[in-house]
Amino acid sequence: MKLEIKNVTKKFKSKTAVNNFSMVVEHGQCVGLIGPNGAGKSTLIKIISDILYADKGEVLLDGKKISNMKREIGYLPQYPDFFHWMTAKETLFFMGQLSGISKEKLIDEVPAILTKVGLINEQNEKVQTFSGGMKQRLGIAQTLLHKPSFIVMDEPVSALDPIGRREVLNLIQEIKHDTTILLSTHILGDAEEICERFVIMKQGKKIEDTTINKLITNNQESVVHLEIASSDLKWVELIEKLPYVKNVELIGKRAKVRLDNVQLNKNRLLRDALESNIDIVKFEVGSSDTLEEIFLKMVVSV
Amino acid sequence: MTPLYILTKKEYVQMFREFKIIWLPLVFMFLGATQPVVTYYLPSILAALGGNQGITIDPSMTQQDGAQVIAATLGSQFDQLGIMIIVISMMGIIQSDKANGMLDFILTRPVKVGAYIGGKLLSNFSFIAISVMLGYFVSYVYVNFLFNNIPFLEMILAIVFYLIWVLFILCFTFMISTIFNGQGVIALISIVCLLIFKIFSGLHPIIDLLNPAGMSQHAMMVLITGSIDSHLYGNMFITLVWITLTVTFSHYWISEKKYHKN
Repeated sequence: MKLEIKNVTKKFKSKTAVNNFSMVVEHGQCVGLIGPNGAGKSTLIKIISDILYADKGEVLLDGKKISNMKREIGYLPQYPDFFHWMTAKETLFFMGQLSGISKEKLIDEVPAILTKVGLINEQNEKVQTFSGGMKQRLGIAQTLLHKPSFIVMDEPVSALDPIGRREVLNLIQEIKHDTTILLSTHILGDAEEICERFVIMKQGKKIEDTTINKLITNNQESVVHLEIASSDLKWVELIEKLPYVKNVELIGKRAKVRLDNVQLNKNRLLRDALESNIDIVKFEVGSSDTLEEIFLKMVVSV
Repeated sequence: MTPLYILTKKEYVQMFREFKIIWLPLVFMFLGATQPVVTYYLPSILAALGGNQGITIDPSMTQQDGAQVIAATLGSQFDQLGIMIIVISMMGIIQSDKANGMLDFILTRPVKVGAYIGGKLLSNFSFIAISVMLGYFVSYVYVNFLFNNIPFLEMILAIVFYLIWVLFILCFTFMISTIFNGQGVIALISIVCLLIFKIFSGLHPIIDLLNPAGMSQHAMMVLITGSIDSHLYGNMFITLVWITLTVTFSHYWISEKKYHKN
């Protein structure tokens, strides 16, 4: 299943939630849609799953309008909520039948899928007694039930506690081999764990479409991470004036020192430190930013 | 199995689980019994409560015709408390699905908006119609027992006309529930509008022709006079047009996705 999003724009009164957004998701890919709160992720996901209409642009699945392809889509909302008076099993029967699966088939498949999401022991309990994590898992079961070739998930783990989060992430890991997945999150670590490709959104616009490796290589700049005793912090101010030092960022006792040519100059810096009789706790050469920092920089600065 | 069937069945199961299937018919049966019983015992009640302060009741004055009593069941019980009860039991019909996201969820499945609306209206109308008929039947039995017999055909005709007005009540509440998001607002608007329709019925023939509450008026007239008013068919046709309009508007509102809050 190939998903094409073409120039989608959606306005709410004066606010533009999604602004001329385009992307293509190839068959079998797992794409993480990342952005800060209010970036328009949920709106975009709702447009993709045909809950909202776009003001402009269109969403095509295999070249066909998404509204004609509902059978092929599995949708997991941010806070899946079902009819409280239904049991887990009834919920899956209800949603399954609405997706056009016959009752006979569901009798076979529902217990299997409930086992997969770990709700088989709660199958006859009412949804109103379920915790957030259980509802999320039931939501995933519902998403997978009709074997869609394309799954859209809106913040599948953001609202969960660490245990629930782990359970759901493992589930997604399992299913990602069989289907195309698009999921949104504002937590980079989650996307990093599941997806190979990231699309970063800010104020309704796509600001980056990349893979995790590219993201790191592009932003990789070797720096010297330096940790020294607090009594010697004055020296940090001095090295900033050295000709081969580009700049120094000081956070607490740790300094991040950017050099003109790290390979060449790191030893000069070390020698300088030794000559000045500095109490060195740590001296390390590494990449300048964690993924989190790269993400923050993009979202805040662009 | 079509989505219409599945959604209709779901509504019935929900009525069972929420015990609506018990209390709504009971309420209407109670309402149906109230009018004949209170009317019958009114002289005794007045005599007992009035004491001997010089009030005398001429029993022949209070002796009412059975047809009038059952017409009063429709006009003063069902059309007042009855309307409120129907509206209150139906105000969440779409609103609750909007609030918990099930409407969105259901429509991400290959389900047509028509099937969704159809399932809701089919199940709820059949249920309310049965409740109202039960209440009406209880009233009929009491009237036959305490007053005089009512011709069977007139009794049936009257309830058929009345049920068209009930269908309008349901579709109107349905539309309001589709448009607005607060239960209180939905109940208030529906009850006020429907009671206004009711108050305006019988004021002027032209207004009556356009007024869906005219169907209730016609039902009462059939019972009291035993004959069908010449304006009935026009009024019935226009009421059906109103019903179609409310349903079409709800369909438009949901399929254009105007129900989202922002």
